[in-house]
Amino acid sequence: MQNISLHNYQDFLLRYIDGELDLRETEALLAFVALHPAIAEELETLQLTKLDIEVITCPNKAVLYKNIFPVIVEPATIVYPHKQKLFKKEKEKAPVILLKWWAVGAAAVFLFMMVRYGMLDQKAASTLSKNSISKNKVSTVPTLSVIKNNPTINNSIPNNPTVNTGSMAAAKVVTDIKNNTPNTIEYAAAQNIEHQSMPTASMVTARETAQNMPSYNGDIIDVKPTVIAEITVPSMPGNDEITEIIETIDTEAASSNRSVMVGAFEIDKDKFRGLFRKANALFKNKENNRNEK
Amino acid sequence: MTEKDYNESVLLYADNVYRFIVKNLRHTEDAEDIVQSAFEKLWIHKDNVEPLKAKSYLFTVAYHLLIDHTRKANRITLQESFENDSQTAYQENKALKKVLHDALATLNETQRSLVLLKDYEGYSYEEIGEITKLTTDQVRVYLHRARLKLRSYLISPQQVL
Repeated sequence: MQNISLHNYQDFLLRYIDGELDLRETEALLAFVALHPAIAEELETLQLTKLDIEVITCPNKAVLYKNIFPVIVEPATIVYPHKQKLFKKEKEKAPVILLKWWAVGAAAVFLFMMVRYGMLDQKAASTLSKNSISKNKVSTVPTLSVIKNNPTINNSIPNNPTVNTGSMAAAKVVTDIKNNTPNTIEYAAAQNIEHQSMPTASMVTARETAQNMPSYNGDIIDVKPTVIAEITVPSMPGNDEITEIIETIDTEAASSNRSVMVGAFEIDKDKFRGLFRKANALFKNKENNRNEK
Repeated sequence: MTEKDYNESVLLYADNVYRFIVKNLRHTEDAEDIVQSAFEKLWIHKDNVEPLKAKSYLFTVAYHLLIDHTRKANRITLQESFENDSQTAYQENKALKKVLHDALATLNETQRSLVLLKDYEGYSYEEIGEITKLTTDQVRVYLHRARLKLRSYLISPQQVL
């Protein structure tokens, strides 16, 4: 510690006013001042320069605070004007029908048969019409079988009332037959062709028709159509059985018209329809059961 | 420092800084502007200021703003108009206090600031040196000169009468 003297006492006085003296320096200064009254007076005047603490309040202190009073801003309610357009309604899903393998197979076979039938039917119709027209021009009848030694079938055809109806091709055939040798079973077949709208069915089933004839017990000779025109049977007027045969043939032809030939098999259309109806009813029942569940 | 520390600094030191500035300038509006600027600067740099040094930081900023303001005021010579403005002038209650503050007005900015920082805020020489960017010896010398000048003003024959 520096000793206080008359040369450096003022520095001690000023440091005392500023509060920069430690305890020992303070005691030393006060002792020195006590020894020098002039220095004590000087100390009093220096103490007047010390500012008294004033309480001064900052007037706008509130503006200095940061975020101490946060303003809660309510979220603006923004309404989308076309909200109704955005609503969606889920469409009802179509019922899923689970098919078993056998059902799928059956459907495939059925479709195949239908396609096949349709193709065969169209082909047969077209070929028949072509054949009947072309062959009748050369006075040949496109029938398959000839009944031998049966006089009952002769001379009945001219009296047959069914001759009046039929297609143009069939009428031509009938005319050709009448002009040449109409008293044959081929004439009946031709008559059948004329009567039916689908001559192919009667042509194909001519053999079965001949077998089912009630008054016929003779042999059936399967002859090619080209040979038929050469066979002639003498006409025997007044025979009633021929009418019955023709009617039978007509009935068979009509029934054969309802049948379908699929390859080598003959299937009745009505049975198909029944199958369709049963299958339809099954599917409907299943669907109803699901809806009820 | 955090937002909370900053607001605590406002609560604790705003009055002190304001007093320091208003005693220097003797103009309340300018003092308010400087205080506001000082705290704004503290808010901007709050991440780099420790809470314990907030007061020192505020006085440092305020002091330099004060110096800038005083220099601008001196250039445009508005000092007299400030003194004559009765509404903005700091009101003295007592005669001694009035003489003393008149004496303060005779000091330069540095001396006055040193006196104010020492007497009002109680800063040490080192702390005043940090605020005013002066050395401890400079602070001590300048402050002693200020004290002697004030004393000379107080004991002058005009003041005694």
